[in-house]
Amino acid sequence: MFVLVVGGGKVGYYLTKELIASGHEVVLMEKHQQRADQIKDEIGSVVIAHDGCEGKYLAEAGANRADIVAAVTGDDEDNLVICQMAKHHFDVPRTIARVNNPKNEGLFRHLGVDEIISPTRMILGSIEQDIPVHELLHLAALGIGELEIIEARLQPGSPAVGRLAADLSLPQGCSLFGVIRNGMPTPLRTDTVLAEGDKVIAIGKPDCEAELRGQLIGHGVEA
Amino acid sequence: MGDSSTPQFRRAVVALSGGRTDRQIVSLASEIAKAGHAELVGVHVVEIDWTLPLDADVAGRDEAAQRVLDIAEATAEASRFKLETVLLQARDVGAAIVDEAIERSADLLICGLPFRRRFGGEFAVGRTIPYILKNAPCAVWVIREAMPEEQA
Repeated sequence: MFVLVVGGGKVGYYLTKELIASGHEVVLMEKHQQRADQIKDEIGSVVIAHDGCEGKYLAEAGANRADIVAAVTGDDEDNLVICQMAKHHFDVPRTIARVNNPKNEGLFRHLGVDEIISPTRMILGSIEQDIPVHELLHLAALGIGELEIIEARLQPGSPAVGRLAADLSLPQGCSLFGVIRNGMPTPLRTDTVLAEGDKVIAIGKPDCEAELRGQLIGHGVEA
Repeated sequence: MGDSSTPQFRRAVVALSGGRTDRQIVSLASEIAKAGHAELVGVHVVEIDWTLPLDADVAGRDEAAQRVLDIAEATAEASRFKLETVLLQARDVGAAIVDEAIERSADLLICGLPFRRRFGGEFAVGRTIPYILKNAPCAVWVIREAMPEEQA
């Protein structure tokens, strides 16, 4: 498989090394000459010292025959431009972008980037799993990001505690489909009464999040 | 083996650029190799850009590349020496030449350097020779052609 990696920071460098070790054909684009030379010294002549945001340099790097373009620079705007050009100008079958600011995820998805890797989101998810928080926890994105699977932990004072799940006024485009009680997954039925400590699993559109939070977590709830 | 004043090597790789220094370095290397009963391998590399896969059939169809090897062989023959030639295709000429020298356990790598100036007058050494000088594990001879009279 021919992979074009754009961005020779730590992510790009280690990604390139791993891909080469796995036997893939790889070219790495890094716009800073000094950094490009440094990587070239270490891993060989697979580095092109040019800016991957420019179409002519992407063409030079062989974007026309790339199976995957991975844009992993530290700049979201650059990563978006690279994936857009790869997808629409060079017909690259699969584009992967690193997104540093989670707020940009929707835009990337909307503009057709095939896969989005958000280190910020990943770390946030990991932190949220380890410490009790009152926020909703994002478990996964479905499709190309139109839907999300969300977990809400019902804390003391939550407006949902003691109520039937069926009585909650959920926003349109959102539904509850399970509850984890005492570590056991249970399907939600019309007669299920939500209790403190329940982890409620919901699926919904990202824009339902605020309303869902209001129903399950409440606003300004204290532990 | 030749007399003690002759530089000694067992197997040398001669980098053929296809430029005007090729005849000079092949001729010189042939004379020295003949005297020392050494082997010479002439290597010409066709650089493949990233728009093509590395195994694309380019070098085999490249008449200019074949001609480089033919000229080198003929130059060696003029010194009554048999030069083995190899045509490679690679992403980077310098890396390919160094790799070939390592693979063949060469104890010498010989390169020609044309006398060129950049716009502005600074002497230009290119990128292949610095790479070879930095990375070749064996000895390296760089033979720079004479400075043109008008620049001397």
